[in-house]
Amino acid sequence: MSDPGPNSVFNSGFGRRTFLKGSALTTGAFFINSKFTHLRLADEPSSPFTTPWAQPLAFTPYNVPLPAFEPLADVNFDNFQRYDELPAAHQYKVQICEALHCPHPQLAFSPSTTYNGMCPGPTFMMRYGQPVITRFENCMPPVMPSYGSCDVVTHVHNGHHAPESDGGPWDLYSPGIYKDHHWANVYASDLATGQPDSREAKGTLFYHDHCHDFTGANVYRGLAGFFLLFDNFDSGNENDTNPDAFRLPSGVPDGKRVRNRYDIPLVISDRRYDANGFLVFNTMEMDGQLGDKNLINGRVQPYFEVERRKYRFRILNSGISRFYDVWFSNGMTFQYIANDGNMIPAPMTLQNVKLGVAERADIVVDFSQLPATTTEIYLVNRMEQTNGRGPTGNTLPMNAAPKLLKLIIRPQTGIVDNSRVPTALRELPPMDVPVARTRDWHFDRSNGMWTVNGQLFDENRCNAACKIGTAEIWNFSTAGGWAHPVHNHMEEPRVLSRNGKSVVGTVMQGRKDAHPLYPGDEISVYIKFRDWLGKYPMHCHNLTHEDHAMMFRWDVVP
Amino acid sequence: MSSPHHGVPEREPVTRRSAFGGLLLPAAGILLGGCASSLKSASKPEVEIPEGRGAFVMRPDGTRAFRNHEFVDQDGNKVRFQDDLVEGKIFGATFQYAKCKGICSNMTEQMKKAYDLMTPIMGNPVQFYMFSLAGDSPAAMKEFMQARGVYGLPGWRFFSGTNEAITDIRWAFGFGDPNEELDQNLAGHTGMVRFCNHSLDKWSACPAQGSPEATARLMVRMFPANARPQLPNIASKAAAPTYRMKDWVPAKPLEGQAAPGTPSL
Repeated sequence: MSDPGPNSVFNSGFGRRTFLKGSALTTGAFFINSKFTHLRLADEPSSPFTTPWAQPLAFTPYNVPLPAFEPLADVNFDNFQRYDELPAAHQYKVQICEALHCPHPQLAFSPSTTYNGMCPGPTFMMRYGQPVITRFENCMPPVMPSYGSCDVVTHVHNGHHAPESDGGPWDLYSPGIYKDHHWANVYASDLATGQPDSREAKGTLFYHDHCHDFTGANVYRGLAGFFLLFDNFDSGNENDTNPDAFRLPSGVPDGKRVRNRYDIPLVISDRRYDANGFLVFNTMEMDGQLGDKNLINGRVQPYFEVERRKYRFRILNSGISRFYDVWFSNGMTFQYIANDGNMIPAPMTLQNVKLGVAERADIVVDFSQLPATTTEIYLVNRMEQTNGRGPTGNTLPMNAAPKLLKLIIRPQTGIVDNSRVPTALRELPPMDVPVARTRDWHFDRSNGMWTVNGQLFDENRCNAACKIGTAEIWNFSTAGGWAHPVHNHMEEPRVLSRNGKSVVGTVMQGRKDAHPLYPGDEISVYIKFRDWLGKYPMHCHNLTHEDHAMMFRWDVVP
Repeated sequence: MSSPHHGVPEREPVTRRSAFGGLLLPAAGILLGGCASSLKSASKPEVEIPEGRGAFVMRPDGTRAFRNHEFVDQDGNKVRFQDDLVEGKIFGATFQYAKCKGICSNMTEQMKKAYDLMTPIMGNPVQFYMFSLAGDSPAAMKEFMQARGVYGLPGWRFFSGTNEAITDIRWAFGFGDPNEELDQNLAGHTGMVRFCNHSLDKWSACPAQGSPEATARLMVRMFPANARPQLPNIASKAAAPTYRMKDWVPAKPLEGQAAPGTPSL
């Protein structure tokens, strides 16, 4: 078990109870904010004031593999497809447990649901060609008052994983139970050769809870963390001597080890707190939840000191319902290199990036380009959104945009920066398999219930039986009034068009696992079915919508 | 000791944890974690519900108090919303009306299938409530229930009241629409069912017309994990097996801690 890190008090039910007891009994908090008049989100009580930039950006430590001499007991390898072909090189164990988390010194320690006691969860540093087995033990209290569920199941978002290791919503399990996942860390296959295809590599993924009916509450309570995948191209070493290596800014911080680290995961989320600083969640909300505090890596409005050199920022919108339009406050440009964690063929120079729930953007920003007089800038969100249904469509003025993160630029001190942004990144995998059929998926609402193609979700009904080794075109659409960031498990399609227009040259180009449908949108994708047989969900990733069953099931069949 | 989950107005010599412990009652051979309890309002402090449609108050023990509206059921019995239908109950609640030409029949049929899956636990402690959106008379509600085979089923009741009262609880349960025209449009009324375990302040919702297995499963998940009724016919078809941890010691829920203090800058 790793160190829970700062701002956390840990409770797994395995020996830290004593500490927990001592820490929990001495509170002096009293509550005054008692009255909830179930009005719309904009009318909910505001969180208390918090001093911005009061604490540094925090990073959770890496997940540490179990020592080889102390492997997991009783792993049933027969549960896993292709295990003989892809045996685990490492094993991990993660305990899902309650812990107290304090996101800001002026807020309280709130009970949170965590991976190993941390918010966000510890970072998985994965590498292609090195399959792993991870055991998630549910150590939550069986009697759990208030919002969220003690039932859990962990899904690696955009993992190319077999269904038994995917962590779909139907796989939830109770306290005292564990589940083993085989993450093969293998590229999706090139159907022409049958071999793993490095053009299918994924880089910035995240793992989060997927407990049916309670995903939003459980993620809000803390169940999300980064899952980063490297290979010989995106090697995680800016000094790599391998000529194939991209040598992007490298070094993911490992807990408090942040010196000389330039590959920075940033998980953005929003939360709401009561007058005494405790985390609150509106369990009755049906449209979507918005918070009024912006958190980066689990802290409210932190600061981050950067050197005058290149950094890679991996920005993740973990939700649960807010959309972001991320800018630097000085309007500076950056190199956009990956969409939903997938390298695009060539970097794009952009000033902003929009992120629906669960979307990711990898960018490289060069702080050496700033004038010496610029000593601080901010990461801001210019997306206007006033309720959980989706953004208004307006872009906030720069000076009115909520600030997410303060970047303090250190003075120049003879920095050596060997990192680079290659002009060519990763080719797109070909769309070389004939289209077997086209399917339309219309995301809508009827009598306050979410529907897909007019149907309510039924996990026992397969809405699409897709033959392995084939390809299809899927068309996603939605009606007016709502935004739906729809997400597909396991197979990552290539986007063909948005509202009838080609996406080439836009941030939508390439492969994507999250498709932000704004009111009236239509998005077409090309999707292959490879490597694993079984059932998967596709769903809206506005987690409030997901929890009220805006999803359908599709299967890969022989 | 503090409760972190929602604000409460004042301290009382009771903790959330001890309150739950006091509610653990054996019923039907299992521990229901407070679910079967029927605490009367006499044991709760009187609270003033603030202005506003759907308003409620969080009480010191972490449970909710709604306006105590008076309703009448399909047999003409008068009940109080908070006292008789909410306090200490596990329930599912839908909003329907007797002359509905839209989804109400199918909602009831699907809920009846879910009910059948849960027959061993229906009535005590689990309840199914329907609230009339059209001010139906007891006779009309009874006829509706009889026509769909749910009249007389233990735990299944249909309630009517003033439009203001029904609207108030509909909003309290999250089924209001900020667009007044849409909010009052009967044809577009919600097809969701709201689930509650009041003692735990556990709430959820799903489509009433969804899979009966999923509906029954969600209702069972309103129980504490260590006291869930065992209903094998609602088991989920998981993609992979799970296993019981050895030497597992169940944890207890945490209490929050006060803010550590104003940061020094």
